[in-house]
Amino acid sequence: MSDHEQLLASIGERRIDRKGFIAGGAALLAAAGLGRVPDAFGAASRGEAGELFYYNWADYVNPKTYPAFTKATGTTVKKEFFISNEALQAKLKAGARGYDLAAPTGYMVAILAADDLLTPINWSKLPNVRRNIDPKFRKLPFDPQDRYSVPKDWGTTGFVYRTDKIKERPKSWEQFFALFEKYPKKFTLLDGSPEVIGSIAVMMGYSYNTDDAGQLNKVKDFLLPLKPNVQSLDSVTYKQKIAGGKAFGGLGWNGDGSYIVTKTKGKAEYVVAAEGGEFWVDSYVIPVGARNPDAAHAWINFVYQPKINALETSYTYYGSPVKRERLRGALASNILGNTDVFPAPAVVKKLEPNNISPKGTRLRERIWTEFKSA
Amino acid sequence: MSSAPLPEKKGRRRLRAGGPRYPGWLALPAVVWYGVFFLVPIGIMAVYSFQLTVGYGDIAYAWTTENFTYLWDPLYGRIFWRTFQLAAIATLGTLLVGFPLAYYIARYARRKTLLLLLVIVPFWTSFLIRTYSWLVILDPDFFLWRALGLGDFEILYTTKAIYIGVVYNYLPLMVLPLYAALERMDWSLVEAAQDLGDSSFRAFRRVTLPLSLPGVLAGSLLVFIPVTGEYLVPAILGGDKTAYAGNLIAQQFLEARDWPFGAAIAMVVVGGLTIALLVYAKVLGKQEQYGG
Repeated sequence: MSDHEQLLASIGERRIDRKGFIAGGAALLAAAGLGRVPDAFGAASRGEAGELFYYNWADYVNPKTYPAFTKATGTTVKKEFFISNEALQAKLKAGARGYDLAAPTGYMVAILAADDLLTPINWSKLPNVRRNIDPKFRKLPFDPQDRYSVPKDWGTTGFVYRTDKIKERPKSWEQFFALFEKYPKKFTLLDGSPEVIGSIAVMMGYSYNTDDAGQLNKVKDFLLPLKPNVQSLDSVTYKQKIAGGKAFGGLGWNGDGSYIVTKTKGKAEYVVAAEGGEFWVDSYVIPVGARNPDAAHAWINFVYQPKINALETSYTYYGSPVKRERLRGALASNILGNTDVFPAPAVVKKLEPNNISPKGTRLRERIWTEFKSA
Repeated sequence: MSSAPLPEKKGRRRLRAGGPRYPGWLALPAVVWYGVFFLVPIGIMAVYSFQLTVGYGDIAYAWTTENFTYLWDPLYGRIFWRTFQLAAIATLGTLLVGFPLAYYIARYARRKTLLLLLVIVPFWTSFLIRTYSWLVILDPDFFLWRALGLGDFEILYTTKAIYIGVVYNYLPLMVLPLYAALERMDWSLVEAAQDLGDSSFRAFRRVTLPLSLPGVLAGSLLVFIPVTGEYLVPAILGGDKTAYAGNLIAQQFLEARDWPFGAAIAMVVVGGLTIALLVYAKVLGKQEQYGG
């Protein structure tokens, strides 16, 4: 690692002239290695005026919102999905162009912006946002000038379990992870090192973002023995597995937790762990090379109408950045008052946003590989 | 292989040796295609593998072997070994399942075209969807297992599920070359061997098997090589808990954002496969003596 650090010091963290290489050659490399990139090229070249190409997390928009948007604006929506912020970044870095709109998490907004992969937001085209957004979601630390992003949803990373499948009532990470041994292969983890390693770090009293090698080693010593008892690593279909009873619970996000609670008619509970965990904000961004940035602005402005926003929240079960008084009446009161969807400020206060350093990322990926190889 | 030399088909041999010569430029499309879409990406990958990642996925042109020294670690050795095992099991599994099928279609079946079509039909559906459908089949709650009273097994999210998934997915790639080899076979040779006193098993071992060997080798190649890069089946049926080379590479590119390290792993896989191919070419070269 010392060579890495030297390099960091000599070159500076970013701003290495590699754009030409990345955009040209690397696209080919990625095309050969990953297979999915050409889709973006092909799709993008077909994009016409009147179409919005929305690159998003799966299951993150109410299916009713698309036709409502098309009806209101005449713009059709083309969809593609990513499974992690890192996958989105890899694709944009590889030169995939043509996406008009995406919704990464805050820390990734900062990384993409620093890498010149985002187009600035034109706030004059967003009257609904200016009118309805809760001021505490303006100028967030990952985009201090509100230059590149508009908050979409916010939420927490905790755990969910079926109250009808186990008799325990875990409230902390410690109690949650103890269930893995008691119920082998009945619990899932998100398929990502930031959430899994961060949550265990928090359990041990460290920061969610720790990049201290000694602390991460202790996390590893806890993580590796969990392996034989984990059912699967899954960030996309775990909610179906738990709601369907194939798994008894898992580490996950609050919206998925609320989905499971709803689907099982209350036979599940989502918990923000007592020790803490992650708090995140996903934001709309317009990737560089967007063909229809006007449509992207139109979408953002459209979903910031309280009625449409309520439609979104009642589907995703993630907290809305729209002022509460604007949502009142538009959003069902049992969702507006649901503390899984809108956690209390006191709960949010003990949580941290993802802010893992490059050094921490490398250490964590190594541990993650060891975990998957164990 | 038997000690007794097999009769050679003189006519065909001669044709192959001194047959009509085609102009070399006919190979141009293939050469250009491979040059642009195979050699150039491999070259880029090779260049990347000697660089370093700084920050959140930026490349520093360091020209160092550090990625390879980092790879020189029992952790990654285990993953490569596991990948080799998976490819070997997939090859053997498809061979065990595919050979009797190809043999039956080539020798006995009346409706060969229909059966071959059925072998190919799965390709009409996305690989991804077919793999997801195994989640339903391997679930102990699947209605068929329930009906048969077989509800007590644990396959899903284990290596067993991964093995079943790859054998299923790659089976056509084994059956088709096997069928091609067996279909060309002159079955009167088998009858002759039996007439001269061989039991049917001995006749199979001494006549059918050697003559089908080119098909076995071609099928093995078609299965073994792509399985070394397989990552969907472990991700879906294995619950993404078990690292294989393909998953490791995907992790470096999509999660760790460490392209140079991912490229280095890919180069090691490419290198290993090249060695395996050279061995294969040698074996195949020997096989040519027996002709097909």
